[in-house]
Amino acid sequence: MDANAILTTTLALMQGLGVVLLLFAVVLAASMPLGFFLTLLARCRILPVRWIVNAYIYVIRATPLMLQLFFIYFGLPYINKALTFSALTAALLGYSLNYAAYFAEIFRGGLLSVDKGQYEAAKVLGLNRVQATIKVILPQMFRVALPSITNESITLVKDTALVFSITIPEIIYYAKAAVSRTGNVYPYAIAFLIYLAVNSLLQWFFNWLERKTAY
Amino acid sequence: MQLIEVKDLKKGFGTVSVLTNICFTVNQGDVIAVIGPSGAGKSTMLRCLIDLEQVDGGSIFVESEPLVKDGIYPSRTSRRKITAKMGMVFQNFNLFPHLSVRKNLIMPLMTVKKVSQSDAETLALQMLSKVGMEEKIDAMPNALSGGQKQRVAIARALMMNPDILLFDEPTSALDPELTGEVLAVMKQLASDRVTMIVVTHEMSFARDVATRVLFMSDGCITEEGLPQELFSAPKHPRTQAFLRSVMEN
Repeated sequence: MDANAILTTTLALMQGLGVVLLLFAVVLAASMPLGFFLTLLARCRILPVRWIVNAYIYVIRATPLMLQLFFIYFGLPYINKALTFSALTAALLGYSLNYAAYFAEIFRGGLLSVDKGQYEAAKVLGLNRVQATIKVILPQMFRVALPSITNESITLVKDTALVFSITIPEIIYYAKAAVSRTGNVYPYAIAFLIYLAVNSLLQWFFNWLERKTAY
Repeated sequence: MQLIEVKDLKKGFGTVSVLTNICFTVNQGDVIAVIGPSGAGKSTMLRCLIDLEQVDGGSIFVESEPLVKDGIYPSRTSRRKITAKMGMVFQNFNLFPHLSVRKNLIMPLMTVKKVSQSDAETLALQMLSKVGMEEKIDAMPNALSGGQKQRVAIARALMMNPDILLFDEPTSALDPELTGEVLAVMKQLASDRVTMIVVTHEMSFARDVATRVLFMSDGCITEEGLPQELFSAPKHPRTQAFLRSVMEN
């Protein structure tokens, strides 16, 4: 094992990092707003809407993400050929739908933590529902939800490893290939370090955000 | 000029009746103290006036416009327009904890009335100096004492230029030392002829500052009158018993 071999392996693993970062960014950007929308729908006055949303959240959280990915990528084409997606699209769809359900629950917890008096103060000051939600409720909800959002984001980085199961090569795929090729365990160590580095950065960013939004 | 007229107000929670046949009027410049034992329906009555609770029957007119008429409410937009004539100060202050004192004051005005930031800030300074809090304009609410929070809450309510201010036990969450600073602000407002309805357990405020006192018990206005009359010669046995127990303590 020499420095050159380590560098070559690291560069190979970095190809996988690209997939991880792409999935992370797109899924986070899609699932957080979708999750918040689900939270609002789950509080809607129309009962059937609430039932459907709660059933969706329940099913998604009670079944494995890998099964959901298999269903979308391998299963949907059996139902209708038009539902055939590329592996990457299936992954983005599957992860976003899955994480939206978790974020919906996180935001629900955040909303429950906002005191009823805050809604009342906003109302007597003349703010309408949308204004009250944006200016008063969301910032307080977000602050409470932030530690859980951090947790979920770190889990998302690690969960991206599952795309391997629907044929998308990522860090672990390249690490496994390198281990087979070199007959040495160090590619796994490099994979460890890459995940650690990404999640350390994330943790640092969210800690900064928590400090910045503290009151 | 009559600002509020309440007729035959009824309100219950489930099978429990909380307000029964409440009738009263409020004129411009009135300071109405609402006193009575806990659970008498004082706060619920106040919350009905500003549409935080829906009534089961009766009417509320604010400056001759119906917030509710014979138990029937107009559209949400009309209700918001009517309740905009009133401001409310809560027992627990309900300042927005994520916003500084300055933003607590200017945000509602800028959002609701689309006032420019510089105009809103000028007004905020005026209102804060009225309650003696201009030095704390950049403080966050959690850095303030209870009395200071309540004074900021009063300034925030005044920012919207309401015709009537409602106070729901504004000093009940404060220790006696801090109560005084809030009462002093309220006395100043009364001398400025601000129309107020104050639900309170502060008998000295009711006696010395109010222009009229409503005594409530069991969801009804049991007795109403001028403070000197009601406190020195209460007519109803329930009022007599209440005042006796309060004075003994």
